[in-house]
Amino acid sequence: MIEFFIAYRPVFDIALLHAGLAYSQYIVLRAGAFSVAVPGLAAIGAYAAAILAMRHGLHPLAAVLTGSLLGMAVSLVLALPLARLRGVYQAIASLAFVQIVLSLNLFAQDLTGGAMGLTGIPKLVHTTELAIALVVVLYVMFAIDATRAGRAFDAIRQDEAVAASLGISVTGYQMLAFAVSGAIAGLFGALEAFHGYALEPNQFGFGLLITVLTYVVFGGRRTVLGPLVGTAILVALPELARPLQDNRLLVYGLLMMAVIAFMPQGVYDTLKAAWHRRRMARGASP
Amino acid sequence: MTTLVLDDVTKRFGGVVAAEALRLEVPPGRITGLIGPNGAGKTTVVNLITGMLPLTSGAIRFGEQELTHAAAHEVGRAGVARTFQNIRLLPEASVLANVMIGFHRHERASLAASVLGLPEARHETRALREEAMALLERFGMQRYAEHPAGALSYGHQRRVEMMRALATRPKLLLLDEPVAGMNDVEAGELGTLFRSLAAEGMAVLLIEHNVRFVTSICAYVYVLDGGRLIAEGPPNKIVADPAVIAAYLGA
Repeated sequence: MIEFFIAYRPVFDIALLHAGLAYSQYIVLRAGAFSVAVPGLAAIGAYAAAILAMRHGLHPLAAVLTGSLLGMAVSLVLALPLARLRGVYQAIASLAFVQIVLSLNLFAQDLTGGAMGLTGIPKLVHTTELAIALVVVLYVMFAIDATRAGRAFDAIRQDEAVAASLGISVTGYQMLAFAVSGAIAGLFGALEAFHGYALEPNQFGFGLLITVLTYVVFGGRRTVLGPLVGTAILVALPELARPLQDNRLLVYGLLMMAVIAFMPQGVYDTLKAAWHRRRMARGASP
Repeated sequence: MTTLVLDDVTKRFGGVVAAEALRLEVPPGRITGLIGPNGAGKTTVVNLITGMLPLTSGAIRFGEQELTHAAAHEVGRAGVARTFQNIRLLPEASVLANVMIGFHRHERASLAASVLGLPEARHETRALREEAMALLERFGMQRYAEHPAGALSYGHQRRVEMMRALATRPKLLLLDEPVAGMNDVEAGELGTLFRSLAAEGMAVLLIEHNVRFVTSICAYVYVLDGGRLIAEGPPNKIVADPAVIAAYLGA
Protein backbone atom coordinates (compact mmCIF):
# COMPACT_ATOMS: atom_id res chain seq x y z
CA MET A 1 0.00 0.00 0.00
CA ILE A 2 2.73 2.43 1.03
CA GLU A 3 4.83 1.39 -1.94
CA PHE A 4 1.88 2.04 -4.20
CA PHE A 5 1.46 5.48 -2.70
CA ILE A 6 5.13 6.34 -3.10
CA ALA A 7 5.13 5.18 -6.70
CA TYR A 8 2.07 7.22 -7.56
CA ARG A 9 2.81 10.22 -5.38
CA PRO A 10 3.57 12.58 -8.30
CA VAL A 11 0.25 11.66 -9.89
CA PHE A 12 -1.54 12.17 -6.60
CA ASP A 13 0.05 15.62 -6.21
CA ILE A 14 -1.06 16.61 -9.68
CA ALA A 15 -4.58 15.44 -8.86
CA LEU A 16 -4.62 17.65 -5.76
CA LEU A 17 -3.30 20.68 -7.66
CA HIS A 18 -5.76 20.26 -10.48
CA ALA A 19 -8.67 19.61 -8.14
CA GLY A 20 -7.98 22.97 -6.49
CA LEU A 21 -7.96 24.73 -9.85
CA ALA A 22 -11.10 22.82 -10.85
CA TYR A 23 -12.92 24.41 -7.86
CA SER A 24 -11.76 27.84 -8.99
CA GLN A 25 -13.48 27.09 -12.31
CA TYR A 26 -16.50 25.45 -10.67
CA ILE A 27 -17.46 28.39 -8.47
CA VAL A 28 -17.82 30.87 -11.36
CA LEU A 29 -19.77 28.34 -13.43
CA ARG A 30 -22.05 27.71 -10.47
CA ALA A 31 -22.78 31.45 -10.22
CA GLY A 32 -23.82 31.51 -13.87
CA ALA A 33 -20.66 33.15 -15.24
CA PHE A 34 -18.90 31.42 -18.13
CA SER A 35 -15.41 32.71 -17.39
CA VAL A 36 -12.38 30.52 -18.09
CA ALA A 37 -9.78 32.83 -16.57
CA VAL A 38 -8.41 30.24 -14.10
CA PRO A 39 -4.99 29.62 -15.78
CA GLY A 40 -4.30 33.36 -16.00
CA LEU A 41 -5.16 33.87 -12.35
CA ALA A 42 -3.10 30.84 -11.32
CA ALA A 43 -0.13 32.21 -13.29
CA ILE A 44 -0.36 35.51 -11.42
CA GLY A 45 -0.40 33.71 -8.08
CA ALA A 46 2.46 31.40 -9.09
CA TYR A 47 4.82 34.08 -10.44
CA ALA A 48 4.04 36.55 -7.67
CA ALA A 49 4.74 33.98 -4.96
CA ALA A 50 7.95 32.72 -6.58
CA ILE A 51 9.35 36.20 -7.30
CA LEU A 52 8.49 37.55 -3.86
CA ALA A 53 10.07 34.60 -2.09
CA MET A 54 13.17 34.24 -4.25
CA ARG A 55 14.11 37.86 -4.98
CA HIS A 56 12.60 39.77 -2.09
CA GLY A 57 13.10 37.27 0.67
CA LEU A 58 9.45 37.08 1.65
CA HIS A 59 8.58 34.11 3.86
CA PRO A 60 7.16 31.40 1.56
CA LEU A 61 3.89 31.18 3.52
CA ALA A 62 3.42 34.96 3.20
CA ALA A 63 4.33 34.66 -0.49
CA VAL A 64 1.65 32.01 -1.02
CA LEU A 65 -0.97 34.11 0.75
CA THR A 66 0.05 37.17 -1.28
CA GLY A 67 -0.29 35.11 -4.46
CA SER A 68 -3.80 34.14 -3.41
CA LEU A 69 -4.79 37.72 -2.57
CA LEU A 70 -3.34 38.98 -5.83
CA GLY A 71 -5.34 36.34 -7.72
CA MET A 72 -8.45 37.55 -5.94
CA ALA A 73 -7.73 41.22 -6.69
CA VAL A 74 -7.07 40.62 -10.39
CA SER A 75 -10.16 38.43 -10.64
CA LEU A 76 -12.31 41.20 -9.15
CA VAL A 77 -10.94 43.71 -11.66
CA LEU A 78 -11.54 41.22 -14.47
CA ALA A 79 -15.12 40.72 -13.25
CA LEU A 80 -16.01 44.34 -14.04
CA PRO A 81 -15.82 44.11 -17.86
CA LEU A 82 -17.03 40.48 -17.81
CA ALA A 83 -20.19 41.53 -15.93
CA ARG A 84 -21.36 43.26 -19.10
CA LEU A 85 -21.03 40.07 -21.15
CA ARG A 86 -22.90 36.77 -21.14
CA GLY A 87 -22.30 33.19 -22.16
CA VAL A 88 -19.84 32.49 -24.93
CA TYR A 89 -18.78 36.16 -25.14
CA GLN A 90 -17.72 35.98 -21.52
CA ALA A 91 -15.72 32.84 -22.32
CA ILE A 92 -13.95 34.51 -25.24
CA ALA A 93 -13.11 37.64 -23.23
CA SER A 94 -11.72 35.58 -20.35
CA LEU A 95 -9.73 33.46 -22.80
CA ALA A 96 -8.20 36.70 -24.07
CA PHE A 97 -7.23 37.49 -20.48
CA VAL A 98 -5.40 34.14 -20.22
CA GLN A 99 -3.52 34.95 -23.44
CA ILE A 100 -2.61 38.43 -22.18
CA VAL A 101 -1.14 37.02 -18.96
CA LEU A 102 0.78 34.46 -21.02
CA SER A 103 2.20 37.15 -23.32
CA LEU A 104 3.15 39.40 -20.42
CA ASN A 105 5.00 36.51 -18.80
CA LEU A 106 6.90 35.98 -22.05
CA PHE A 107 7.74 39.64 -22.61
CA ALA A 108 8.56 40.80 -19.09
CA GLN A 109 11.81 38.86 -19.23
CA ASP A 110 13.56 40.72 -16.43
CA LEU A 111 10.79 39.95 -14.01
CA THR A 112 9.55 36.53 -15.09
CA GLY A 113 12.49 35.04 -16.96
CA GLY A 114 10.50 35.12 -20.21
CA ALA A 115 10.29 31.88 -22.17
CA MET A 116 13.01 30.34 -20.00
CA GLY A 117 10.85 30.84 -16.96
CA LEU A 118 11.92 30.85 -13.34
CA THR A 119 14.11 28.05 -12.07
CA GLY A 120 15.56 27.02 -8.76
CA ILE A 121 12.40 27.65 -6.78
CA PRO A 122 12.75 25.82 -3.47
CA LYS A 123 10.48 22.78 -3.20
CA LEU A 124 8.54 23.46 -0.02
CA VAL A 125 5.11 22.14 -0.97
CA HIS A 126 4.47 18.41 -0.76
CA THR A 127 1.42 16.19 -0.72
CA THR A 128 0.46 17.24 2.82
CA GLU A 129 0.40 20.97 2.08
CA LEU A 130 -1.61 20.41 -1.10
CA ALA A 131 -4.09 18.20 0.75
CA ILE A 132 -4.54 20.78 3.50
CA ALA A 133 -5.19 23.51 0.90
CA LEU A 134 -7.74 21.31 -0.88
CA VAL A 135 -9.53 20.54 2.39
CA VAL A 136 -9.81 24.28 3.08
CA VAL A 137 -11.22 24.85 -0.41
CA LEU A 138 -13.70 21.98 0.02
CA TYR A 139 -14.81 23.42 3.36
CA VAL A 140 -15.51 26.80 1.73
CA MET A 141 -17.36 25.10 -1.15
CA PHE A 142 -19.58 23.16 1.26
CA ALA A 143 -20.17 26.30 3.35
CA ILE A 144 -21.28 28.26 0.29
CA ASP A 145 -23.42 25.32 -0.83
CA ALA A 146 -25.27 25.22 2.49
CA THR A 147 -25.91 28.93 2.96
CA ARG A 148 -27.30 32.03 1.25
CA ALA A 149 -24.52 32.56 -1.30
CA GLY A 150 -25.05 29.08 -2.76
CA ARG A 151 -28.79 29.65 -3.06
CA ALA A 152 -28.21 33.00 -4.78
CA PHE A 153 -25.63 31.45 -7.17
CA ASP A 154 -28.07 28.68 -8.14
CA ALA A 155 -30.88 31.17 -8.73
CA ILE A 156 -28.70 33.41 -10.90
CA ARG A 157 -27.42 30.47 -12.96
CA GLN A 158 -30.91 29.20 -13.68
CA ASP A 159 -32.72 32.49 -14.36
CA GLU A 160 -31.11 35.88 -13.90
CA ALA A 161 -34.34 37.84 -14.31
CA VAL A 162 -36.09 35.80 -11.62
CA ALA A 163 -33.12 36.14 -9.28
CA ALA A 164 -33.12 39.92 -9.71
CA SER A 165 -36.88 40.14 -9.18
CA LEU A 166 -36.35 38.46 -5.79
CA GLY A 167 -33.89 41.16 -4.74
CA ILE A 168 -30.69 39.27 -5.60
CA SER A 169 -27.94 41.51 -6.98
CA VAL A 170 -26.64 39.52 -9.95
CA THR A 171 -23.50 41.65 -10.30
CA GLY A 172 -22.81 41.58 -6.58
CA TYR A 173 -22.98 37.80 -6.27
CA GLN A 174 -20.99 37.22 -9.43
CA MET A 175 -18.29 39.52 -8.01
CA LEU A 176 -18.25 37.29 -4.94
CA ALA A 177 -17.84 34.21 -7.13
CA PHE A 178 -14.98 35.86 -9.03
CA ALA A 179 -13.29 36.84 -5.76
CA VAL A 180 -13.46 33.27 -4.41
CA SER A 181 -12.38 31.86 -7.77
CA GLY A 182 -9.41 34.24 -7.99
CA ALA A 183 -8.30 33.49 -4.42
CA ILE A 184 -8.36 29.73 -5.08
CA ALA A 185 -6.57 30.03 -8.44
CA GLY A 186 -3.92 32.31 -6.92
CA LEU A 187 -3.47 29.94 -3.99
CA PHE A 188 -3.01 26.81 -6.09
CA GLY A 189 -0.82 28.67 -8.57
CA ALA A 190 1.44 29.71 -5.70
CA LEU A 191 1.47 26.17 -4.33
CA GLU A 192 2.43 24.88 -7.75
CA ALA A 193 5.37 27.33 -7.81
CA PHE A 194 6.79 25.84 -4.60
CA HIS A 195 5.98 22.30 -5.71
CA GLY A 196 7.63 21.96 -9.08
CA TYR A 197 11.07 23.70 -8.81
CA ALA A 198 10.38 25.79 -11.93
CA LEU A 199 7.75 27.91 -13.66
CA GLU A 200 7.35 28.65 -17.33
CA PRO A 201 4.62 30.65 -19.08
CA ASN A 202 3.09 27.84 -21.13
CA GLN A 203 2.27 25.89 -17.99
CA PHE A 204 -0.66 28.31 -17.60
CA GLY A 205 -1.97 28.34 -21.13
CA PHE A 206 -4.79 26.90 -23.16
CA GLY A 207 -3.90 23.32 -22.21
CA LEU A 208 -4.48 23.93 -18.51
CA LEU A 209 -7.68 25.80 -19.30
CA ILE A 210 -9.10 22.80 -21.17
CA THR A 211 -7.87 20.36 -18.54
CA VAL A 212 -9.53 22.20 -15.67
CA LEU A 213 -12.75 22.86 -17.56
CA THR A 214 -12.92 19.20 -18.57
CA TYR A 215 -12.57 18.00 -14.97
CA VAL A 216 -15.52 20.15 -13.89
CA VAL A 217 -17.77 19.26 -16.83
CA PHE A 218 -16.84 15.58 -16.62
CA GLY A 219 -17.45 15.28 -12.87
CA GLY A 220 -20.41 17.61 -12.50
CA ARG A 221 -20.78 21.37 -12.28
CA ARG A 222 -23.60 21.73 -9.74
CA THR A 223 -22.75 19.58 -6.75
CA VAL A 224 -19.70 20.28 -4.61
CA LEU A 225 -18.18 16.84 -5.11
CA GLY A 226 -18.55 16.84 -8.91
CA PRO A 227 -15.19 18.51 -9.73
CA LEU A 228 -13.36 16.26 -7.25
CA VAL A 229 -14.82 13.12 -8.82
CA GLY A 230 -14.04 14.42 -12.31
CA THR A 231 -10.43 15.19 -11.41
CA ALA A 232 -9.94 11.85 -9.66
CA ILE A 233 -11.25 9.82 -12.59
CA LEU A 234 -9.45 11.75 -15.31
CA VAL A 235 -6.11 11.86 -13.51
CA ALA A 236 -6.27 8.17 -12.58
CA LEU A 237 -7.50 6.96 -15.95
CA PRO A 238 -4.31 7.41 -18.00
CA GLU A 239 -2.38 5.61 -15.24
CA LEU A 240 -4.82 2.71 -15.12
CA ALA A 241 -4.84 2.52 -18.91
CA ARG A 242 -1.05 2.24 -19.09
CA PRO A 243 -1.16 -1.37 -20.41
CA LEU A 244 -3.01 -0.05 -23.47
CA GLN A 245 0.12 1.94 -24.36
CA ASP A 246 -0.47 3.99 -27.49
CA ASN A 247 -4.20 3.44 -27.40
CA ARG A 248 -4.53 5.36 -24.15
CA LEU A 249 -5.56 8.61 -25.78
CA LEU A 250 -8.13 6.79 -27.88
CA VAL A 251 -9.73 5.30 -24.76
CA TYR A 252 -9.62 8.68 -23.04
CA GLY A 253 -11.37 10.32 -25.99
CA LEU A 254 -14.03 7.63 -26.26
CA LEU A 255 -14.78 7.86 -22.57
CA MET A 256 -15.16 11.64 -22.79
CA MET A 257 -17.59 11.28 -25.68
CA ALA A 258 -19.59 8.61 -23.87
CA VAL A 259 -19.93 10.69 -20.73
CA ILE A 260 -20.94 13.82 -22.61
CA ALA A 261 -23.52 11.85 -24.62
CA PHE A 262 -25.01 9.78 -21.79
CA MET A 263 -24.27 11.81 -18.66
CA PRO A 264 -24.49 15.42 -19.82
CA GLN A 265 -24.64 16.69 -16.22
CA GLY A 266 -21.33 15.00 -15.45
CA VAL A 267 -20.66 11.63 -13.84
CA TYR A 268 -21.31 12.54 -10.24
CA ASP A 269 -24.26 14.91 -10.78
CA THR A 270 -26.03 12.44 -13.07
CA LEU A 271 -25.64 9.54 -10.64
CA LYS A 272 -26.75 11.67 -7.73
CA ALA A 273 -29.85 12.85 -9.61
CA ALA A 274 -30.72 9.27 -10.58
CA TRP A 275 -30.38 8.12 -6.98
CA HIS A 276 -32.55 11.04 -5.84
CA ARG A 277 -35.25 10.16 -8.40
CA ARG A 278 -35.30 6.53 -7.21
CA ARG A 279 -35.70 7.68 -3.63
CA MET A 280 -38.53 10.05 -4.64
CA ALA A 281 -40.29 7.32 -6.60
CA ARG A 282 -40.14 4.98 -3.60
CA GLY A 283 -41.43 7.73 -1.31
CA ALA A 284 -44.36 8.47 -3.61
CA SER A 285 -45.67 4.88 -3.62
CA PRO A 286 -45.92 3.78 0.01
CA MET B 1 -48.85 51.35 4.20
CA THR B 2 -47.32 51.85 0.77
CA THR B 3 -48.98 52.94 -2.44
CA LEU B 4 -47.42 52.42 -5.85
CA VAL B 5 -47.79 55.47 -8.11
CA LEU B 6 -47.04 55.63 -11.82
CA ASP B 7 -46.77 59.25 -12.89
CA ASP B 8 -46.89 59.97 -16.64
CA VAL B 9 -44.93 56.82 -17.42
CA THR B 10 -44.00 56.49 -21.09
CA LYS B 11 -42.08 53.73 -22.83
CA ARG B 12 -41.10 53.80 -26.49
CA PHE B 13 -39.27 51.09 -28.39
CA GLY B 14 -37.89 53.13 -31.28
CA GLY B 15 -41.01 54.48 -32.93
CA VAL B 16 -43.39 52.05 -31.20
CA VAL B 17 -45.19 53.44 -28.19
CA ALA B 18 -45.66 50.61 -25.69
CA ALA B 19 -46.89 52.81 -22.86
CA GLU B 20 -48.05 56.42 -23.18
CA ALA B 21 -48.35 58.83 -20.24
CA LEU B 22 -49.70 56.21 -17.85
CA ARG B 23 -51.00 57.41 -14.51
CA LEU B 24 -52.09 54.76 -12.10
CA GLU B 25 -52.17 54.04 -8.41
CA VAL B 26 -52.04 50.72 -6.59
CA PRO B 27 -52.94 51.34 -2.95
CA PRO B 28 -52.56 48.77 -0.17
CA GLY B 29 -55.51 46.75 1.08
CA ARG B 30 -57.25 46.17 -2.22
CA ILE B 31 -56.86 44.40 -5.54
CA THR B 32 -56.32 46.75 -8.44
CA GLY B 33 -56.95 45.33 -11.91
CA LEU B 34 -55.15 46.11 -15.14
CA ILE B 35 -56.91 44.68 -18.16
CA GLY B 36 -56.66 45.06 -21.88
CA PRO B 37 -56.68 43.00 -25.06
CA ASN B 38 -53.61 41.06 -26.18
CA GLY B 39 -50.76 43.41 -27.09
CA ALA B 40 -52.22 46.28 -25.07
CA GLY B 41 -48.96 46.65 -23.13
CA LYS B 42 -49.92 45.00 -19.83
CA THR B 43 -46.73 43.00 -19.35
CA THR B 44 -44.69 46.05 -20.41
CA VAL B 45 -46.22 47.89 -17.45
CA VAL B 46 -45.10 45.09 -15.09
CA ASN B 47 -41.61 45.14 -16.58
CA LEU B 48 -41.41 48.93 -16.16
CA ILE B 49 -42.49 48.74 -12.52
CA THR B 50 -40.05 45.94 -11.70
CA GLY B 51 -37.06 47.69 -13.29
CA MET B 52 -36.65 45.10 -16.00
CA LEU B 53 -37.18 47.80 -18.62
CA PRO B 54 -36.00 51.42 -18.32
CA LEU B 55 -38.65 54.14 -18.67
CA THR B 56 -38.47 56.61 -21.55
CA SER B 57 -39.99 59.29 -19.31
CA GLY B 58 -42.15 59.68 -16.23
CA ALA B 59 -41.70 58.55 -12.64
CA ILE B 60 -42.50 55.55 -10.45
CA ARG B 61 -42.81 55.91 -6.69
CA PHE B 62 -43.49 53.30 -4.06
CA GLY B 63 -44.51 55.08 -0.87
CA GLU B 64 -41.51 57.25 -0.01
CA GLN B 65 -39.20 55.32 -2.33
CA GLU B 66 -38.24 56.52 -5.77
CA LEU B 67 -38.20 53.53 -8.13
CA THR B 68 -37.98 55.38 -11.45
CA HIS B 69 -34.40 54.36 -12.18
CA ALA B 70 -34.12 51.46 -9.73
CA ALA B 71 -32.47 48.24 -10.90
CA ALA B 72 -34.54 45.06 -10.84
CA HIS B 73 -33.00 43.76 -7.63
CA GLU B 74 -33.53 47.11 -5.88
CA VAL B 75 -37.24 46.98 -6.75
CA GLY B 76 -37.34 43.45 -5.33
CA ARG B 77 -35.65 44.59 -2.14
CA ALA B 78 -38.15 47.45 -1.79
CA GLY B 79 -40.87 44.82 -1.31
CA VAL B 80 -42.27 44.35 -4.79
CA ALA B 81 -42.82 40.73 -5.83
CA ARG B 82 -44.11 39.42 -9.12
CA THR B 83 -45.25 36.29 -10.86
CA PHE B 84 -44.53 35.75 -14.53
CA GLN B 85 -47.04 35.27 -17.34
CA ASN B 86 -45.10 32.21 -18.54
CA ILE B 87 -44.19 30.61 -15.20
CA ARG B 88 -40.50 31.01 -14.43
CA LEU B 89 -39.20 28.65 -11.78
CA LEU B 90 -35.67 27.48 -11.11
CA PRO B 91 -36.22 24.19 -12.98
CA GLU B 92 -33.23 22.24 -11.63
CA ALA B 93 -33.88 23.22 -8.03
CA SER B 94 -36.26 21.42 -5.68
CA VAL B 95 -39.64 22.90 -4.84
CA LEU B 96 -38.32 23.70 -1.37
CA ALA B 97 -35.27 25.52 -2.80
CA ASN B 98 -37.53 27.49 -5.13
CA VAL B 99 -39.55 28.73 -2.17
CA MET B 100 -36.50 29.33 0.04
CA ILE B 101 -34.90 31.64 -2.51
CA GLY B 102 -37.95 33.89 -2.08
CA PHE B 103 -36.78 34.71 1.45
CA HIS B 104 -33.57 36.19 0.08
CA ARG B 105 -34.34 39.82 0.83
CA HIS B 106 -34.87 38.98 4.49
CA GLU B 107 -31.60 37.11 4.95
CA ARG B 108 -29.31 38.88 7.41
CA ALA B 109 -26.24 36.65 7.60
CA SER B 110 -23.30 38.41 5.96
CA LEU B 111 -21.71 37.05 2.81
CA ALA B 112 -18.50 36.46 4.74
CA ALA B 113 -20.47 34.34 7.20
CA SER B 114 -21.89 32.42 4.26
CA VAL B 115 -18.52 31.78 2.57
CA LEU B 116 -16.91 30.79 5.87
CA GLY B 117 -19.89 28.66 6.90
CA LEU B 118 -20.29 30.48 10.23
CA PRO B 119 -23.07 29.34 12.57
CA GLU B 120 -25.20 32.47 11.97
CA ALA B 121 -25.46 31.64 8.26
CA ARG B 122 -26.22 27.95 8.93
CA HIS B 123 -28.86 28.75 11.57
CA GLU B 124 -30.55 31.21 9.25
CA THR B 125 -30.71 28.60 6.50
CA ARG B 126 -32.28 26.11 8.91
CA ALA B 127 -34.86 28.68 10.04
CA LEU B 128 -35.75 29.56 6.44
CA ARG B 129 -36.13 25.90 5.58
CA GLU B 130 -38.73 25.54 8.33
CA GLU B 131 -40.52 28.68 7.24
CA ALA B 132 -40.57 27.44 3.64
CA MET B 133 -41.96 24.06 4.77
CA ALA B 134 -44.76 25.88 6.62
CA LEU B 135 -45.61 27.72 3.42
CA LEU B 136 -45.59 24.45 1.45
CA GLU B 137 -48.00 22.97 3.96
CA ARG B 138 -50.34 25.93 3.61
CA PHE B 139 -50.49 25.25 -0.13
CA GLY B 140 -50.75 21.47 0.31
CA MET B 141 -47.42 20.94 -1.44
CA GLN B 142 -45.24 19.52 1.37
CA ARG B 143 -44.94 16.11 -0.22
CA TYR B 144 -43.35 17.68 -3.30
CA ALA B 145 -40.70 19.51 -1.26
CA GLU B 146 -37.76 17.54 -2.64
CA HIS B 147 -39.07 17.18 -6.22
CA PRO B 148 -37.35 19.17 -8.96
CA ALA B 149 -39.67 22.09 -9.75
CA GLY B 150 -39.31 21.62 -13.50
CA ALA B 151 -40.95 18.16 -13.30
CA LEU B 152 -44.21 19.34 -11.71
CA SER B 153 -47.56 19.73 -13.45
CA TYR B 154 -48.61 23.17 -14.67
CA GLY B 155 -50.98 23.86 -11.79
CA HIS B 156 -48.37 22.86 -9.21
CA GLN B 157 -45.76 25.04 -10.89
CA ARG B 158 -48.12 28.01 -10.63
CA ARG B 159 -48.44 27.30 -6.92
CA VAL B 160 -44.66 27.16 -6.46
CA GLU B 161 -44.32 30.51 -8.18
CA MET B 162 -47.00 31.98 -5.94
CA MET B 163 -45.30 30.59 -2.81
CA ARG B 164 -41.98 32.04 -3.92
CA ALA B 165 -43.57 35.48 -4.36
CA LEU B 166 -45.23 35.27 -0.94
CA ALA B 167 -41.95 34.15 0.67
CA THR B 168 -40.56 37.62 -0.11
CA ARG B 169 -43.31 38.96 2.22
CA PRO B 170 -44.11 41.62 -0.35
CA LYS B 171 -45.81 44.94 0.24
CA LEU B 172 -46.88 44.92 -3.39
CA LEU B 173 -47.69 41.81 -5.38
CA LEU B 174 -47.80 41.98 -9.18
CA LEU B 175 -49.69 39.09 -10.73
CA ASP B 176 -49.22 38.65 -14.47
CA GLU B 177 -52.14 36.51 -15.68
CA PRO B 178 -52.05 34.18 -12.67
CA VAL B 179 -55.12 32.15 -13.66
CA ALA B 180 -54.22 31.59 -17.32
CA GLY B 181 -54.89 27.97 -18.19
CA MET B 182 -56.80 27.25 -14.97
CA ASN B 183 -60.36 26.02 -14.66
CA ASP B 184 -63.03 28.05 -12.80
CA VAL B 185 -62.62 26.12 -9.54
CA GLU B 186 -58.85 26.64 -9.42
CA ALA B 187 -59.22 30.29 -10.43
CA GLY B 188 -61.84 30.76 -7.72
CA GLU B 189 -59.46 29.33 -5.08
CA LEU B 190 -56.71 31.69 -6.15
CA GLY B 191 -59.16 34.60 -6.18
CA THR B 192 -59.98 33.85 -2.55
CA LEU B 193 -56.27 33.81 -1.69
CA PHE B 194 -55.70 37.18 -3.41
CA ARG B 195 -58.62 38.72 -1.54
CA SER B 196 -57.28 37.52 1.81
CA LEU B 197 -53.81 38.91 1.00
CA ALA B 198 -55.32 42.31 0.16
CA ALA B 199 -57.40 42.16 3.34
CA GLU B 200 -54.16 41.72 5.31
CA GLY B 201 -52.97 45.06 3.87
CA MET B 202 -51.00 44.02 0.80
CA ALA B 203 -51.25 46.04 -2.39
CA VAL B 204 -52.14 43.73 -5.28
CA LEU B 205 -51.99 44.53 -8.98
CA LEU B 206 -53.72 41.90 -11.08
CA ILE B 207 -52.95 41.83 -14.79
CA GLU B 208 -55.45 39.79 -16.78
CA HIS B 209 -57.38 39.65 -19.96
CA ASN B 210 -60.06 37.46 -18.41
CA VAL B 211 -62.55 40.28 -17.75
CA ARG B 212 -64.92 38.10 -15.75
CA PHE B 213 -62.22 37.11 -13.25
CA VAL B 214 -60.99 40.69 -12.86
CA THR B 215 -64.40 42.21 -12.32
CA SER B 216 -65.24 39.51 -9.75
CA ILE B 217 -62.34 40.29 -7.40
CA CYS B 218 -60.99 43.78 -8.15
CA ALA B 219 -62.03 46.93 -6.34
CA TYR B 220 -60.76 49.24 -9.06
CA VAL B 221 -59.82 48.54 -12.67
CA TYR B 222 -57.64 50.26 -15.26
CA VAL B 223 -58.13 49.42 -18.93
CA LEU B 224 -55.18 49.55 -21.29
CA ASP B 225 -55.35 49.54 -25.07
CA GLY B 226 -52.50 50.27 -27.46
CA GLY B 227 -50.33 51.47 -24.57
CA ARG B 228 -52.88 54.05 -23.41
CA LEU B 229 -55.32 54.01 -20.50
CA ILE B 230 -58.76 54.21 -22.05
CA ALA B 231 -60.84 53.83 -18.89
CA GLU B 232 -60.63 53.44 -15.13
CA GLY B 233 -63.08 52.96 -12.29
CA PRO B 234 -64.94 50.35 -10.29
CA PRO B 235 -65.67 47.13 -12.22
CA ASN B 236 -69.39 47.73 -12.77
CA LYS B 237 -68.63 51.07 -14.42
CA ILE B 238 -65.86 49.56 -16.55
CA VAL B 239 -67.93 46.75 -18.08
CA ALA B 240 -70.52 49.30 -19.22
CA ASP B 241 -67.98 51.71 -20.71
CA PRO B 242 -68.45 51.99 -24.50
CA ALA B 243 -64.71 52.55 -25.10
CA VAL B 244 -63.88 49.33 -23.23
CA ILE B 245 -66.49 47.33 -25.09
CA ALA B 246 -65.16 48.69 -28.39
CA ALA B 247 -61.56 47.78 -27.48
CA TYR B 248 -62.51 44.23 -26.56
CA LEU B 249 -64.95 43.55 -29.38
CA GLY B 250 -63.11 45.61 -31.97
CA ALA B 251 -66.37 47.36 -32.81
